[in-house]
Amino acid sequence: MIINHPLLGPRDASEFVYLGDASLIDRPDWQAKDAQQQFHDYLYLRDNPAGAHRELWFHEQGDRSWLVVTRDTITHEITNVELARDVALQRGRGR
Amino acid sequence: MPRLAPSSPLNGFRQEFDRLEITEITDLALVSIASPQGREAELASAVSGAYGIALPPVGSSVEADAGEPRFLGLQPGQCFALFERQDEGPVDIIARKLSDAGYYTDQSDSWAVLRVSGTRCREALERICPLDLHPQTFVTGAVARTVMEHLGVIIFRDGEDSFLLLSARSSAPSFLHAVVTSAKNIQ
Repeated sequence: MIINHPLLGPRDASEFVYLGDASLIDRPDWQAKDAQQQFHDYLYLRDNPAGAHRELWFHEQGDRSWLVVTRDTITHEITNVELARDVALQRGRGR
Repeated sequence: MPRLAPSSPLNGFRQEFDRLEITEITDLALVSIASPQGREAELASAVSGAYGIALPPVGSSVEADAGEPRFLGLQPGQCFALFERQDEGPVDIIARKLSDAGYYTDQSDSWAVLRVSGTRCREALERICPLDLHPQTFVTGAVARTVMEHLGVIIFRDGEDSFLLLSARSSAPSFLHAVVTSAKNIQ
């Protein structure tokens, strides 16, 4: 499987490690009133789609960047690759 | 007081093959330069003020004047400075020029450095390097971090027919074995 890195171009998937669902970027506020419930949902509740799935990959044997990869879980076709930093900033995170 | 003699990671290895040569390089210093969060512009202007060059984008390198470091763009917010070893400590040399615009770490003794050169060097490397090393894709001056034989490697093309390979000192003999085996396989 080849991942088309936004900065480096196509790289073999063996250079990367997989973390999981890209929703892990949206870490809840630990000071919220219902933080316990929010963290329960954040940690344990996942969609398990048969189709397009946004997921976090780490380029460990490369430039050490985190990526958000949109991959079809049925065909393994990769349709989009973004820097996770850019995605987090778009969602209003500070860094 | 015993006198200690320095030894290089691969004991100065050198071997010639048909139009191919593998040599350990022992006279280089390597310093990683990381930019502090939110102060990227400060580091960039310190580098251009001290060396007259712009920091290279990820995947490429840029050389300051002769005798000055070459900067390797390895990842966002970090680059490596590669230069000739001198009596002065490598971090001191960089810090003298850039003061405290970045975080500097001496990595000179952490890496084994091999030069693979000669007109058949790309043939020897294509069996272990997962990157496309065609001169139009991986141009002279290009740099990348990747894996060869499951070992992390920084590969830097320092000439049309010459590559520098940097791998961890702790696994240097295994890395050398992989590169030499690959060279023997094309003979």
